[in-house]
Amino acid sequence: MTTPSTPGPGIKLYITVWIGLILIVASEVALTYARLPSGTLLAALLALASVEAALGLMYFMHLRYEPRLLFWCLIPPLIFVLLMLNHLWRDAHRLSTLRFPPT
Amino acid sequence: MSESELSLAMPHGETMEASPFRIQSKKLVIWLFIVADAATFGAMLFAYGYLRAGSPDWVRPFAFAPTIINAMVMTLVLLTSSLTMLAAVAAAQAGRREAAVRWLGVTTLLGIGFAVLHLREWFNMFAAGWSLSANPKGGPVLFGASFFSITGLHLLHVIGGVIAMTVVALMFRRGRLDAAHVETTGLYWHFVDLVWMFVFPLVYLMNAR
Repeated sequence: MTTPSTPGPGIKLYITVWIGLILIVASEVALTYARLPSGTLLAALLALASVEAALGLMYFMHLRYEPRLLFWCLIPPLIFVLLMLNHLWRDAHRLSTLRFPPT
Repeated sequence: MSESELSLAMPHGETMEASPFRIQSKKLVIWLFIVADAATFGAMLFAYGYLRAGSPDWVRPFAFAPTIINAMVMTLVLLTSSLTMLAAVAAAQAGRREAAVRWLGVTTLLGIGFAVLHLREWFNMFAAGWSLSANPKGGPVLFGASFFSITGLHLLHVIGGVIAMTVVALMFRRGRLDAAHVETTGLYWHFVDLVWMFVFPLVYLMNAR
């Protein structure tokens, strides 16, 4: 049986991406102890995690080397679903004002 | 891969239409699973966000030592396991069967190491009084519920991956599976790694003292 293989990058690029991911993790920890306001820290951590996810998807999971149609059929719909979940986020603020009535 | 390789010969000389994605069906299936599972983890992380935003007295229980350091080591172990999995896939695709099995073994051991570190942390937290419905710090009990649910679901994926890698390595060694199976297992394992890239900052770092 022939085994189709995805032409991917070499081990040097993998190691470069791996080091990059470790550096991003280190910067996340450094940012955490920089005592930023919670909202700023959350935004920074989410941005860095998204960069990590993009690197992982494109290089470790070879999405960059797959047919583009696969990327366009999978990733934008997933982001759309996650954004729709996030759209409900604002409702969470309402929770802080909700209390059980006193008995 | 050529179109002809993807076209499946039918009994009467007909051919099935080639996949528009030009990849094997097993790879497409694992990608669909990954997308669905990513939405599941996304929903859990958003639920955690809801709970956190709705709890003004949310606790931040994690000290740098030992919890954050332990989580950093776990992250390093998982990232390294992705690298060794890439080596396994490359070896399998190059036809170096023994090397592929060896790298799969290393990846499996790293996965087990991650699970052991995680379980050790869990048991330390249980000993300190944390549970799904208890908060020894006096804040909302929802911290334990969300922490153990999210990390538990991820740990379940790690354990599932360890079992899958063991089975694939054994069957690949005997020639019953091919390099494409190693590749699809690798995609799953990288996804488990990818999810941790969100769990670590959102669940650990955002709750660091």
